[in-house]
Amino acid sequence: MSDATKEAAAIGWEPEIEELRFRRAEAQRLGGAEAIEKHHSQNRLTIRERIGGLVDGGTFQEVGGLTGQGRYADGKLAGVTPAPYVMGLANIEGRPVAIGGEDFTIRGGTSWSGDRKKGGQGGFIEDLAASYLIPLVNLIDGAGGSVTSINRRGHSVFPGVHGFERSVELMGKVPVVSAVLGTAAGGPAGRAILSHWSVMVKGTSQVFAAGPPVVERSLGQKISKEDLGGADIAVDHAGTIDNRAKDEAECFAMVKRYLSYMPQNVWEMPPIVDIGDPVDRADDALASIVPRDRRRPYNMRKLIELVADKGSIFEIQPTYGKALITAFARMNGKVVGILANNPMVYGGAMDVRAARKQTHFIELCDSFHIPLVFFVDVPGFMVGKDAEAAATLREGMRAVYVALQASVPMFTVVVRKCYGMAGMGATDKNGLDFKIAWPSAEWGSLPIEGGVAAAFRREIAAAPDPKAREREIEADLRSMASPFRTAEAFGVEDIIDPRETRAYLCRFIDAAQGRIRTTLGPKARYGVRP
Amino acid sequence: MAECEAKSEVTGSIWKIVTEVGQKVEAGDTIMIIESMKMEIPVIAEESGTIKAFLVKEEAAVSEGQTVAVLET
Repeated sequence: MSDATKEAAAIGWEPEIEELRFRRAEAQRLGGAEAIEKHHSQNRLTIRERIGGLVDGGTFQEVGGLTGQGRYADGKLAGVTPAPYVMGLANIEGRPVAIGGEDFTIRGGTSWSGDRKKGGQGGFIEDLAASYLIPLVNLIDGAGGSVTSINRRGHSVFPGVHGFERSVELMGKVPVVSAVLGTAAGGPAGRAILSHWSVMVKGTSQVFAAGPPVVERSLGQKISKEDLGGADIAVDHAGTIDNRAKDEAECFAMVKRYLSYMPQNVWEMPPIVDIGDPVDRADDALASIVPRDRRRPYNMRKLIELVADKGSIFEIQPTYGKALITAFARMNGKVVGILANNPMVYGGAMDVRAARKQTHFIELCDSFHIPLVFFVDVPGFMVGKDAEAAATLREGMRAVYVALQASVPMFTVVVRKCYGMAGMGATDKNGLDFKIAWPSAEWGSLPIEGGVAAAFRREIAAAPDPKAREREIEADLRSMASPFRTAEAFGVEDIIDPRETRAYLCRFIDAAQGRIRTTLGPKARYGVRP
Repeated sequence: MAECEAKSEVTGSIWKIVTEVGQKVEAGDTIMIIESMKMEIPVIAEESGTIKAFLVKEEAAVSEGQTVAVLET
């Protein structure tokens, strides 16, 4: 063996391994100390801090850490500007996820062109989630494409060259969660919507189709980015994003919480977490929570808390469409999706926002085989000119339609009012059509008040005292509207003491688990939604 | 002293104002009751404080999101 060969053998690949270390260290520097300091000063964490704050310690296996723009002097590597997207495989609560996000400290997280996309629509991170059938977590903090790409390419790109087809495929296969952690416009904003659940941070994140400069140019409107797409608009008013967090730490905790209710993919069952809350716990407060006075509302959130496993409730869209409460919870450890009309808002009437919320939540739970529990107190669709102008009827029927297409088991608890088409949309017409009611329940195709005035118009008009006659007819009809009379006819499957609700539901949710296992896999949906 | 606005969750009309200017209220207390969809919908104090002013009178029509009272917290 020559001296040169011996020397080479002694060195091995150490120079290259040293270069690898240097390149990895460059990747850790992100956009440099100055850019990171500026980012921090806006109460925003770097992408590496975000991933670190969200995943189980030590589980992040980065992929593509060497990507970026190398700087060379006399043929030697001087440094690397990393690609503005960090991603890889990690565990959350012991389960693998694909996680990635834009690095805002490098060119504001704008898109980067390598041989293969790392993140965004059609990027490696989506392929990883789709191939391994694991949840995808998008940490969104980027402005997407830039018109400057025309300069780089020498031509204008046709929309959809990097399309959403993979993002759409994922929506039927694995949980997709997006946290908007900065200003998101264009593609990143689109991806935030193409998620099963999204969250944004109040004050430091905004989401819109286009930002203030484009709005001013297009419409002459001068508006701040917070007024255009902050949480007040995007979460509370529009429901574009589902939940809001007060800071990034709370946001990460919410992402973890959401995923704790989700299976890894549509071929698996959601995880069971038994906290030892007795199935037969019968809270006395339930017996009097509904006021006898029909005009008085009550606290539906409290009612749900008294029935579900203690501490298991996670509300989706708590500030949008408030006439309906949608939440994940557990019953005897099994995940359920709860839909409850909120009598505090429009008496629980389904307005256009509540209808949208219901449509989304039913589809979500149906896709992931999560049984639904309806706590019904709905006088019907919202009425009035505003409601008609907002297409409440169409959105309401859409909610009814998706309920009629869903094949996951549903359990209906009629707490008080259950009227009309909105009431029908809260029942398991494809399945057991199993409805239990509290003694406070009342139902019909429409409420007696108002209905009487229309149906008995001539008789009322002809009476000496029309008002008194109207009230008389109402009282007559109401006496026959007792839920017990419907139970005699088996028109409702059971009437229960409200304190029995938890035990009764748990019994049937447990029994339905075997049936749910037979329907695992993607759900095909046919036909055209109204 | 900070101020906190109490807003109506619903479109309807003011049925009954059940507090007075200067009255101390706790978070969760009912300030006034709005009639909407044949129901009595309470306007709840989000924070504890003192009622500084009412911006509506009984029987007035209110719309969703409208500020109906101001509290000093």
